[in-house]
Amino acid sequence: MVRLGMVIDLKRCIGCHTCTVACKAEHHTPPGVFWAKVVRVESGKYPTVIRQAVPLLCMHCKEPECEKVCPTGATKKKADGTVTVDSKLCVGCRYCAVACPYGARYFTPEWKDYFTGEKKPSSQFAEYSKKKWLEESDRGVVSKCDFCEERVKQGKNPACVDACPTEARTFGDLDNPESEVSQLIKTRRGMQLHPEYGTDPCVYYLPAR
Amino acid sequence: MQQEDFKPGARAQMEWGFGGRRRWRDGALLMALFLGGIGAGQFVVSTWLIDSVTSALVGLVVVGVGKTVAHLVYLGQPTRFYRLFLRPKTSWISRGLIFMVVFVAFGAAYLAPDIGFAWVPWETGSTFSDALLVGAILSAFLVMVYDGFVLLTCKSITAWNTALMPPLFFTYAVAGGTAMTYLTLIAMGSEIPNQDTLTTIDSVLLVSMFALLVIYIVNMTTSNATARESLRKLTTTKVAIAFIGVAIVLGLLVPLSLTLYHEVASAGTVASVLLALSSILELSGDLSVRHSILRAGLHTPVFSEGL
Repeated sequence: MVRLGMVIDLKRCIGCHTCTVACKAEHHTPPGVFWAKVVRVESGKYPTVIRQAVPLLCMHCKEPECEKVCPTGATKKKADGTVTVDSKLCVGCRYCAVACPYGARYFTPEWKDYFTGEKKPSSQFAEYSKKKWLEESDRGVVSKCDFCEERVKQGKNPACVDACPTEARTFGDLDNPESEVSQLIKTRRGMQLHPEYGTDPCVYYLPAR
Repeated sequence: MQQEDFKPGARAQMEWGFGGRRRWRDGALLMALFLGGIGAGQFVVSTWLIDSVTSALVGLVVVGVGKTVAHLVYLGQPTRFYRLFLRPKTSWISRGLIFMVVFVAFGAAYLAPDIGFAWVPWETGSTFSDALLVGAILSAFLVMVYDGFVLLTCKSITAWNTALMPPLFFTYAVAGGTAMTYLTLIAMGSEIPNQDTLTTIDSVLLVSMFALLVIYIVNMTTSNATARESLRKLTTTKVAIAFIGVAIVLGLLVPLSLTLYHEVASAGTVASVLLALSSILELSGDLSVRHSILRAGLHTPVFSEGL
């Protein structure tokens, strides 16, 4: 059985936001929607304080809270372990967005232009972007990272993985003990975010120190 | 909005209640929770304690029309609303809406002979009618309490993930229902049957609500940092006006004093005015406490020390 997952090396991440931009370019997400984002975290105590860039995306949990609470069945867990939202079934109640502990879900009431903030596209590219977004999602529904479903089908990595200039992200099969992701988790003590919730995320972080 | 998304610490939930992503329209969800609670409470108080058909009908309409419309206004895709009923096995929203439909169906069937539908094959007081009433009251209880479970299931929001949520919402719903019953009867100009019992129940509910809020606050002070941040939000930011000012002082302490004073007020008109004022304050307190709890919903920081 395949269980797709990602490993993010916090030692390598420099917080350049290339993943954020690559995700936006790939999925044409409107303003305010960040399927991939980078958050700056300060940790430790003086004099050993570090400021760390931590990339965030949907954790594609093995036991997703969002799927449990979804009243419509729009959120589904697929055979390869990815958690997806069927925008044609979603009603926009946003219970999933509230229940997700990782803040990975975004509600988009309307598509808006990046530059004018209007519902009408201001350029040809914005027109194209709107069309692509509405093919992928819908108005008034919740959307989230789908591990670049289309790219993975073509045998490619998700856009954020390929775009990362420091190669901080590795994508692969968590169920295969020989895969690069499994090896990295084993050798570098990969950690999940909030394991106490019992969600068993498929995104692991390799510690910065 | 985007500031919340990129915050490394506790993040405010931006989806439910006034001030969310769609500012005012998101407040429709708060209204849905409020109307569901007070409507179901009014039906139970009106049928069980004072036997007032008009008041029970008002409660039923508040839930059947008010709550339904509020939910539809809130939804991003209201035309697909029927899909909300599909997952009662795991989702409290599905369960709650099913309870609501059952409540409206049983309640309407129970009231039908008294509101002009004389052709229905049962009469008020018959065994079948009593069974309908039991069904309506049981489902009304579930409508009152399910909101608490909806919030309780959000594991990362410490202020909601507490067993106090269902009893808190339930108590507020019954008290709101009592207040609505008073207001309906005063507006109709009718006598309030069983007034002493109702006043006693109302006072007990007000004291219970106060006790539950105190336990809720104490619980947050002894919980994790996110809960303490939620408490700070409840007590020192703009939300404090709604929580301390409206929910606790105007919605609990003032009505409690008015209810106690009302018992000793001799003149009928004065007593009615005091009761109406107390009921309006109680309802505003009910709405404010729900608003404050939604606004105090902070997600635990995604990152912990040691990354």
